[in-house]
Amino acid sequence: MTVPMIEQPADPDTRSPDSPVVVVDGVWKRFGATDVVQGLSFEIRAGEILGFLGPNGAGKTTTMRMILDIIRPDAGSISVFGRPPGVEHRSRVGYLPEERGLYRDVPVLDTLTYFGALRGLSSAEARSRATRLLTEVGLGDDLRKKAVELSRGMHQKAQVIATVLHEPDLLIVDEPMQGLDPVNAEMLKGLLVAQRDRGAAVVMSTHDMADAQTLCDRILLIDGGRRLLYGSVKDIQSAFSDGAVEVRGSGVSVDAEHYRSVAHAAIADGGVRFLLRDGVPAQELFRELATDGAAVERFEVSAPTLNEIFLRTVAGDERASAVG
Amino acid sequence: MTGRTGRRSRRAEAASLVALVAKRDYVRTVRRRGFVFGTLLLPLSIAGFFFISSFASGELAPGGGGTDSGPRDFALLVANESDLTLAPSVLTPHVRLVERADGLARLGTGQADELYVVPDGYPTDATVLRFEATNSGFAIDALQRQAAQLRELGLLLQSALLATSDVPPETVARVMAPIGAISAQTTTGEPVGAGPSLGAFLLPFGFTMLFVLSIFITSGYLLQSVTEEKENRVVEIVLSSVPALPLMAGKIVGLGAAGLTQVIIWALSAVIAVPLLGDRLGDVSSVSLSPITLGLAMLYFALGYLAYGAMFSAVGALAPGSREAQQYAGVFGFAAVVPLIFAGVFLADPQSSLITALALIPFTTPATMLLVLTLTPEVPWLLVVASLVSLSVFTLVATVASARVFRATLLLYGVRPSVSQMISAVFARG
Repeated sequence: MTVPMIEQPADPDTRSPDSPVVVVDGVWKRFGATDVVQGLSFEIRAGEILGFLGPNGAGKTTTMRMILDIIRPDAGSISVFGRPPGVEHRSRVGYLPEERGLYRDVPVLDTLTYFGALRGLSSAEARSRATRLLTEVGLGDDLRKKAVELSRGMHQKAQVIATVLHEPDLLIVDEPMQGLDPVNAEMLKGLLVAQRDRGAAVVMSTHDMADAQTLCDRILLIDGGRRLLYGSVKDIQSAFSDGAVEVRGSGVSVDAEHYRSVAHAAIADGGVRFLLRDGVPAQELFRELATDGAAVERFEVSAPTLNEIFLRTVAGDERASAVG
Repeated sequence: MTGRTGRRSRRAEAASLVALVAKRDYVRTVRRRGFVFGTLLLPLSIAGFFFISSFASGELAPGGGGTDSGPRDFALLVANESDLTLAPSVLTPHVRLVERADGLARLGTGQADELYVVPDGYPTDATVLRFEATNSGFAIDALQRQAAQLRELGLLLQSALLATSDVPPETVARVMAPIGAISAQTTTGEPVGAGPSLGAFLLPFGFTMLFVLSIFITSGYLLQSVTEEKENRVVEIVLSSVPALPLMAGKIVGLGAAGLTQVIIWALSAVIAVPLLGDRLGDVSSVSLSPITLGLAMLYFALGYLAYGAMFSAVGALAPGSREAQQYAGVFGFAAVVPLIFAGVFLADPQSSLITALALIPFTTPATMLLVLTLTPEVPWLLVVASLVSLSVFTLVATVASARVFRATLLLYGVRPSVSQMISAVFARG
């Protein structure tokens, strides 16, 4: 006689290091008559930055709040560190919401100490870490200042520090660059990369496709609560490659009819951007250019930017289904 | 990790977060200037009243006291130089018969403020001489004292004049004190005790006012704390660490403790002050401030605060801003002070059906029962139990409903949720 196996939730301490930090599986959430999130599934892994993209109202913030257990899904499941999200994860999770601030009439050091204590640090440890980190970002002389006395840039620095004070294993940042001045934006980018490099899983919601392209290892694009794209940046760009070729040099014609392999040509960035006919490889255009006697300095098969992919996908593109 | 262990771990985490939020909100509140000022205002006012009244009268005890030259004789000094026989009685307890020279000497040494001399020509001539000390205290105080002295001296002279006639002594006594009124029950004709004096009403009324005020001050701190976190955009950061219900519970506990601290300081001030100021406040001997009354008062305070605190935290969560929050909260505030509007009924008939109804309506229970407890000589246990049950059930329902509204609306920035949204939130599960 065999004893039936009872499936138990994995203990976080015995999980494989490769196990996803967060697993979102078929999650639905409805507010009133609107399905804000519709059967969404994805994973977040340790040591990666997942770009969470989508237009306004796509359901990004709602999804992040469900991962944080601020709100509960109506259907589907979410696991964080192998267990349902809950208060016991508070010491391992950091969150920088889109709507963020500090207590106006409280010294910034006291606010950060309180936030650190809420994340499971002892008050002494939280105060010590906050003092060190605030000093590192140049706020060492402003520790006792109330938030209302700080400049906006100082506010932003303090908010970022509050998010990583307890060195979380999962960092969720919602529109982190919004409202940041360039100096603080660069500081935050460096900090996100540093968090990833020390092994933390980072989820970043953003509307800035350039940031997403630069920082993210994988992206998840949603709209209307549904997943449209999901995968590594490279794979998605490859899937969306339209055969465009950028050529720089002398003797390169801008007339599309000059080359048999070209469907469309246009001047771009000091060179010419060719869109090849369906099924024609880039080598064919290179051969034609050589035959034509053009002195080619640069020949690059261009991939679409994330911004182009975003626009195409949200507007509707059949290639999205290949990586969605 | 088993499910049960997981649940226990979650409960322990939630409890530690409640304690953390409570401690932080308590410390932050009791350090506020407004709280310190508000808490110390009552004891300082009592102390101020005590010293001002003592200073104004120039005495440390009613009708008597001390000066640099020694204790004053506050008796009514009368020097009789007429042919009448003056005989002090129970109606003239302050009269001291002295020789003119002795009385004048006492004025000179500051041991007395006035000396009355009934001269030789009395009663043919109605003149009575009054000698006053150079410093007889503040003018108002002296006028009040002298008016009382003239009344008592009048009674002394009237009884002496009647005694010279053939009127029997018992008739003289009845002429001097014709009425000995006593209250009686309408149905049985049995005598009843005297009703509460004005002083005996004002003190419990003030005490109740302070309790109700404290419920609202404390609930106001709760409202302020919630709206502040919402307006400062801190609430989502906090909510990502502390679930909504432990957050609300922590705030209620922490700020309730702050309110209780305030009430305890006020109650201690009252307990210390009533015996000291008793005579200055008039007849307060009938005021009931027994340990049972104080204990029940604390219970009504705690339940009242829990009910109002929960509702106020929900109001703070759903209001788009602090101004709207204050407006919404004002509606509840008015309901709570309704019993104070019917103060006259409490004085006239503490057992009226209106008071019973006010005691059983949860919104008005705390103020009503605090007044009833301090005004009635015996605790009306039936009403106490019924009102406690009503208030406890309401508190439980209000807390659960408010917690759900709090959780559902706290992250709505600048948006006023509809009534249907709030109803959905109240009945939502999970």
